[in-house]
Amino acid sequence: MPLSRRAALLCAAAVTLPRPGMAQADQRPSITIAVQKVVNSNTLEMAREQSNVGTRVFNSYSEMLIDTDWIGDLSLRPGLATAWRRIDDRTVELDLREGVRFHNGDLMTAEDVAFSFGPDRLWGAGGRQAGGALFAGGAAGAAGKAPPPEVSAIARRTYPGFERIEILGPHKVRFVNRTPDITLEGRIARNVGLILSERSFSEAESWLAWARRPVGTGPYRVAEFRPDRDLMLEAFDEYWGGRPPVRRIRFVEVPEPASRVNGLLSGEFDFACDVNPDQIADVERNPRFEVVGSTITNHRLTVFDRNHPQLRDARVRRAFTHAIDRQMIVDALWAGRTRIPKGLQWDYYGEMLQADWAVPAFDPAEARRLLREAGYRGEPIPYRLLNNYYTNQVATAQILVEMWRQVGLNVQIEMKENWAQIFDRNAPRAVRDWSNSAVFNDPVSSLTAAFGPEGQNQQVGEWRNEEFNRLSVELETGTDRARRRLVFRRMLEIAEREDPVYTVLHQTATFTAKRKDIRWRAAQSFLMDFRSSNWGA
Amino acid sequence: MLRFLASRLARALLTIAMVVTFAFVVLRLSGDPALLIMSVDAPPEAIAAFRAAWGLDEPLWMQYVKYFGAIVQGDLGRSMRDGRDAIVLVTERIPATLALTLPALAIKIGIGIPAGIYAALHRNSLTDRLVMTLAVMGFTVPSFVLGLLLVLVFAVQLGWLPSGGDGTWRHAILPVVTLGIGGAAVLARFTRSAMLEVLGQPYIRTASAKGVPWRAVVRGHALPNAAIPTVTIIGFMVGSLIAGAVVVESVFSWPGVGRLLVVAVSNRDLAVVQCILLLVAATMVASNLIVDLLYGALDPRLRQARAGGAG
Repeated sequence: MPLSRRAALLCAAAVTLPRPGMAQADQRPSITIAVQKVVNSNTLEMAREQSNVGTRVFNSYSEMLIDTDWIGDLSLRPGLATAWRRIDDRTVELDLREGVRFHNGDLMTAEDVAFSFGPDRLWGAGGRQAGGALFAGGAAGAAGKAPPPEVSAIARRTYPGFERIEILGPHKVRFVNRTPDITLEGRIARNVGLILSERSFSEAESWLAWARRPVGTGPYRVAEFRPDRDLMLEAFDEYWGGRPPVRRIRFVEVPEPASRVNGLLSGEFDFACDVNPDQIADVERNPRFEVVGSTITNHRLTVFDRNHPQLRDARVRRAFTHAIDRQMIVDALWAGRTRIPKGLQWDYYGEMLQADWAVPAFDPAEARRLLREAGYRGEPIPYRLLNNYYTNQVATAQILVEMWRQVGLNVQIEMKENWAQIFDRNAPRAVRDWSNSAVFNDPVSSLTAAFGPEGQNQQVGEWRNEEFNRLSVELETGTDRARRRLVFRRMLEIAEREDPVYTVLHQTATFTAKRKDIRWRAAQSFLMDFRSSNWGA
Repeated sequence: MLRFLASRLARALLTIAMVVTFAFVVLRLSGDPALLIMSVDAPPEAIAAFRAAWGLDEPLWMQYVKYFGAIVQGDLGRSMRDGRDAIVLVTERIPATLALTLPALAIKIGIGIPAGIYAALHRNSLTDRLVMTLAVMGFTVPSFVLGLLLVLVFAVQLGWLPSGGDGTWRHAILPVVTLGIGGAAVLARFTRSAMLEVLGQPYIRTASAKGVPWRAVVRGHALPNAAIPTVTIIGFMVGSLIAGAVVVESVFSWPGVGRLLVVAVSNRDLAVVQCILLLVAATMVASNLIVDLLYGALDPRLRQARAGGAG
């Protein structure tokens, strides 16, 4: 078709004149965020990266079918699925959002969902890949497409009863479980279930190459990832949720907390994550900066090993729990910026929340009475401690030891370098620290996952309670909501009062220092939300 | 000479074998890579799968035999965190580290040696005391304290330089200065001591008594003789070019070998740690060998003694 002169002029004008969209894009800010680590595994695949630090970045480049309102009330909300419904105790049907594009331009389809929950991404060979050599192990996915074996292990733990994804149409799928599970929606909302492009996987050179540049649907695409250095994200303007407000986000690794704050104050960073509570005043002395953050869905715990001769008697462990002035720890070390929860549960458990439950009361007289009854005579009890793996960990431990000493407990701190030394069975174990998260809104995500028969605590041989284990199974597979509430209540009674395996100290809080002129809200998680709904709000 | 070199090479190989063995034993006995790399909250099945995949569930002696056998065959292994060849990971970090340590070495030599010589030649003067006071300060202040102080002044307060990271030459200034100051202080103190000892020798008095100009005495007799202890110290500094900036790289978030070493040790990423240790050991051994050869060049008596021993 011949081109008229007018049409040619219009075409030329369209090419050469600045377009409003482009001009606006150029005005968007670029920000730099100082973090301790971008990811631990050096991959951006959340089925491999199960860490707090990884939680901070994943939702910028990828999304799940069911989202969680991390800024608000932690309720489940539509993500890449606009709606979902229960078909039966084993099946959830989901309507996929239409018009969602991956960063490679493809439209998201049911096939991508099937891939994201399928063997290529999650289940691999399906079995244990043994026989690797210490130095020549090829299991990290550097060659070939098979995911490392730990990916399928994480998938099995996240979706223990997963059977299949049924494709009912281009935008309708069913998540089918082998066994009844009333927590399926919560499990689908976990970040292991993020939806990634099937084509990008098939075109990648290797699993590792793909896992370092996952193609998702999030508001930002991965522009560059330099392991152990930084992650650069760029705005993805075709994002279904609207144009992202930031042009570029750079997460840069700055391991030292003081260096992160210095970089913020000197103007190199716009955000500094994981600020220690004692740094808050230093930051806020400068009127250009502020510290935001709040409690997150994680509690700090003291855990007991029942095998230690002095801890076999539950009364001694109960004495530990009554000797702690938790509010004093919160006030002294956290400047009152966190709180004491109602045991190992969170408000967002909804109908499962035991609202009238509480941690053991601070009652030194009761603690002394229990110790007298148990016949404890001041024998030493080791407390294996890491050097501030958790914020304020050592200071908290020192305070705890003094509180315990006040009631007659002779607890002795043993500094350890890593978790393997904490769990080492070659010497008597007694007391250690831990934290526990609720990754979705049901107690199976915390109490059962951590202290149930398959939880870490029992796996390393610290504690076991037959009734608790029976109830754990019932809690996981039961569908009678009223009965589940009773079961959870009884489990709390056993684990926190009758035969204590842990005691909750306080809820964890995370603090982010930032430029005050950036209007942005912190989530109730390590996650950082840079969508337009949370920028300039 | 060949016998000397052969003996040095044999000793170097023995040293490297001992370093490798020691590092293996310490790292494997003090931490489980699976637990550290997968994180404590990973499901037990995932940790077990990781152990099986990397052979960490085998007896320790078998792991050692496999590991040592691979190293002898030139296979330095793969990173458990990264899946990539350890040697690739390490070598790609070396330029960043050398970008700090080489200029820092130049500062150490460029400031430390002249300052030491000047202080020795003006012994007990005000300048001598000032130089030595600064040297003691530079020597005793830990590099992480000095680094944070420099950041507070030049990045936070004055805003002249970046507080950390990499990317431009300006990012390197503070870490280079931090590294350079400590080393210059050490060199200044050693050079001064060596010079004072030489200046007290009879041959210096003889040369002066014979009417040789003082400058010529210093240049021709004092400096060459005082060079041997200084060269030894510089040899150590050259040997630590690869991994001598561990703390400074952490403070300034500099992506060099030092930071890689910290991450690898804390994760018990054995292949990477071993690769760095081998590299450091090899650099140290090479540097010591060069220093030994330089001794001969600087002092004819050592050269003759070595030649006599060889013959």
